[in-house]
Amino acid sequence: MKPGIGQYTILGVLAIGFLYPIWWAISSSFKPPNDIVTDPLTLSGPTLHNYQAMFADVPIGTGFANTALVLVVKGAMTMVFCPLAGYAFAKFTFPGKNVLFGVVLLTLMLPTLVLIIPLLLEMSALGWVNTYQALILPGSIDAFSIFWMRQTIAAIPTELIDAGRVDGASELGIFVRVVLPVIRPGLAALAVLTTMNVYNDFVWPVVAVNDTEHQTLQVVLSTLAQNITGNRIGSDFTTVWGELLAAGSVAMVPLLVIFVLLQRHFINGILAGSVKG
Amino acid sequence: MSTPPIGRRGFIKGALGVGALAVAGCAPGGSGQAVPSKLAAPSATASTVKGEITIWNRSGDLFKVFDAAIAKFKQAYPGVTVNHQQVDIDAKLANTLISGTDVPDGSFWDDAKIGGQAEHLYDLTDLIAPYQDKTAPYKISVNTVDGKIYGVPWDLDPGLLWYREDILEAAGVDIASIATYDDLLTAARTIKDKNPASKPIHLDKNPFLSQLWLEMLANQQGTSLTDASGKLRLDSPEYKKIFTWIEQATGDGLVTHAPYLEPADVNTLDNGQQVFVPWAIWWSFAPQNLLKATKGKWRAAPLPAWTPGGARSGVMGGSSFVIPAKAKNPELAWLLYEYLCFKDEGIQAVYGPNSVYPGGLSTSVPSYLPVLDPAKPLFQPIEALGGQDLWKVATEASSTIPAAAPIPWWWAQSVDYLGNNVQRLIEGKMSPDDVIADSAKKIQRNLVDRG
Amino acid sequence: MRVRTWLTPYVFVSPFFLVFAAFGVYPLIFALQLSFTRWRGAGEATFVGLGNYSYLLSSPDFWASLGNSAVMWVLIVPIQVVAGLGAAVLLANAKLRLRGFFRVAFIAPFVTPLVAMAQVWIVVFDTDYGLVNYLLNLVGLPDVGWLTSTTWSKPTLALLVLWKTTGFAIIILLAGLQAVPGQVYEAASLDGASRWRQFWSLTVPLVRRSIAFLVVVQTLAVFQMFAEPFVVTQGGPYGSTETAGLYLFDHISASDLGTGAANSFLLVLLVFGLSLGAVRLLRPKDGTS
Repeated sequence: MKPGIGQYTILGVLAIGFLYPIWWAISSSFKPPNDIVTDPLTLSGPTLHNYQAMFADVPIGTGFANTALVLVVKGAMTMVFCPLAGYAFAKFTFPGKNVLFGVVLLTLMLPTLVLIIPLLLEMSALGWVNTYQALILPGSIDAFSIFWMRQTIAAIPTELIDAGRVDGASELGIFVRVVLPVIRPGLAALAVLTTMNVYNDFVWPVVAVNDTEHQTLQVVLSTLAQNITGNRIGSDFTTVWGELLAAGSVAMVPLLVIFVLLQRHFINGILAGSVKG
Repeated sequence: MSTPPIGRRGFIKGALGVGALAVAGCAPGGSGQAVPSKLAAPSATASTVKGEITIWNRSGDLFKVFDAAIAKFKQAYPGVTVNHQQVDIDAKLANTLISGTDVPDGSFWDDAKIGGQAEHLYDLTDLIAPYQDKTAPYKISVNTVDGKIYGVPWDLDPGLLWYREDILEAAGVDIASIATYDDLLTAARTIKDKNPASKPIHLDKNPFLSQLWLEMLANQQGTSLTDASGKLRLDSPEYKKIFTWIEQATGDGLVTHAPYLEPADVNTLDNGQQVFVPWAIWWSFAPQNLLKATKGKWRAAPLPAWTPGGARSGVMGGSSFVIPAKAKNPELAWLLYEYLCFKDEGIQAVYGPNSVYPGGLSTSVPSYLPVLDPAKPLFQPIEALGGQDLWKVATEASSTIPAAAPIPWWWAQSVDYLGNNVQRLIEGKMSPDDVIADSAKKIQRNLVDRG
Repeated sequence: MRVRTWLTPYVFVSPFFLVFAAFGVYPLIFALQLSFTRWRGAGEATFVGLGNYSYLLSSPDFWASLGNSAVMWVLIVPIQVVAGLGAAVLLANAKLRLRGFFRVAFIAPFVTPLVAMAQVWIVVFDTDYGLVNYLLNLVGLPDVGWLTSTTWSKPTLALLVLWKTTGFAIIILLAGLQAVPGQVYEAASLDGASRWRQFWSLTVPLVRRSIAFLVVVQTLAVFQMFAEPFVVTQGGPYGSTETAGLYLFDHISASDLGTGAANSFLLVLLVFGLSLGAVRLLRPKDGTS
């Protein structure tokens, strides 16, 4: 099935549409701040002014380090515990299963906004405000990932798992030797999705962290963005605009580069054993 | 500092079945204090006070200005360490006050937000008392809840009439002749007769800002959305007068309806379509930084009055400093804010020439009346205004601003009703009477009654 | 030799429930209790019974916010599923040239920070000076008020969501496609089945499970969405982008916590019903889901 010229045209137009906003944000970050507002579509500059101002104003390096730390710990917990839970929900029958899975789904359905203040009260009672555990632990084993793993594992034929069972292996052994290899594509997808979710999460980190030391990347961005997303009263929103685009570019470029370099690997991982034709 | 409120505690315990979690013992914020904490003046002298405070401000240029001013404060109070942080205040402060953990010793905040959180803040009435008579009445009134003052009044943002001097001159319009809003319409018609493409008067397309602007026009007439007891007073001759004026201006094709300093606005400001911008002093930012073609051609005058001889300005926006009831070193935070708001040296440090604003901070004026002397400018004449002495214009206008009332907690929410209806009025989709009736009904039902 | 014990599944799911017990139960019960009170974050909470619920259910604003979200759902979810599936099938095709480039292009927006990209949307879709209207004018079409007219504000916002999250859909669907064995296609080709029929009769049924998952998760996301309208339109013009999530956010940002909590639980009921419906509709014939 070779794609035709029509498909290439559609894909090409879409690709330009998808990439243009990113190009706009990055190229505008090199423009003098006032030109971003008054002259949005032409290029001027280039200047490093926004970057200099941004690096001087906000601790973006700290933000990177903290996001990386949260990513590693949360990612590890997700990759270990969510497939296990998904396996149990997909392939076991046990009393209370539906109720327990219902609880998992309920936490997925409840808007996180409403839990923010109660959770913050809990954190302050524990003395955890401004700590890494506050950033990492709540929601560290999340309903979305369990749901995803359950869906993925449910697709495995039960006979395959039973076949692994005859030699009397432990359940954990079966999981590691039989289930994990089969769901490798699903795990690859889970790793990508978890990375993106941790990277983009900002509501809880903004609330849970006050000091500079524990700020994540998105907290840094939100500190910059407040003058634009809130009221535009006051004098300096264009400078903030320039700094925000600079910080946004700095935040996304490393991930984009990693993504470009590794896309072959993880997409092939996701597609392992798929359509060849 | 504050005793755990029994009511709240019982409430949480009930939820958990006698506090199964340690959490149940947590007393949210300074909440439920039957008697709000009242702050007294520290007794130590400047050279002997010692301690550390955490101060929150918004990010941006203003943060840098305050940072420099705080450095000067430290020279005056060498024993005080100030941990000055830039924080997303809108997202964080209310939550932090409720949770009561890691609360800053002081924070910058919109005047409009203070009323809703008074229970979490120190009552500063006694401390401000010596300065109360010397502070702009408007700022005292918006920081007062039930007779107590909860914010240290910082900036005053008088409304001014920004205009194109060259166009007025060419049309033979004397700015001094624009003494009332009717005069403004007459002047706009004269200009439009000369240049039919012109739509001289700016009315804003952003619902939030248009409501803030509406409050400026109401403040000018000595009224505001609610009275001191929180009762809605939208249905009044003053508001009716404003809405009728808007209807007249738009009906005669005299209005450019554009969103504040977005491209559509900047371009029509620069191409001569807009000639009059009745707006707060912070609009001075536009000619200085955004307008290329017309830089140097804009000037400021006092707003017209609603009745001959009436007040020539009203307030649009503004901020103050609050000291949370859970602050660790509230006395020291007060010393800082007293320095920044009421001491000549501190006011000079904020508004006078500095490294961020070489000519001084000209987007607002202090609210401390003794320094508002037209003859003693804090910031320099502005080149982008043709060298006009904006200080003089702003301070003279400020002296006429009437007092107001505390801003209700739901003010920002009411934009969904009132701000949107003002937009409908400007677009000719709603009559003044309907704006009043519809907004009042919805605000009453959805906001006032749910307080 | 370890055998399967009754305890095994409980051990496997226990980490989630430990975290949930520690950081979910308390906030949940607190929020539930809050929904029956009036509390503004300070002072004593006043018990109001079902007052918050009845207020919301009788409030035109609440229903309008649900209506706005429903329209957003229609504009986002079906398009995302269809376009995402098409893109996933093409991107999985080893014969596609520039495959790496296209993959990067479609998935890249997923890694961009929303607060920065919202500014791009505001500028590019500006009525008077935006790129989109500039291009329309070039081909002789009049200006469109993308973010300023109540007709177009929802599609423009939906486009932002589609732009930013279609990469997510593609990843989910790519993972689903791996279950489609190549031999099935070869057999179908021998039958002379058209490519289109192949797609509908083979691919779609096989990725049905992934589609069901995607629909459920995106339905939840659309009805909880608040950041996009908050940063781009603040719910305007005239409340046309005041989504269910943003309406809820407004209560909470005004510290009207009781109403916010009640609003949340009403949303839970709604999305629960919707997800159940979606799962039923997309249930594979073998009965598993």
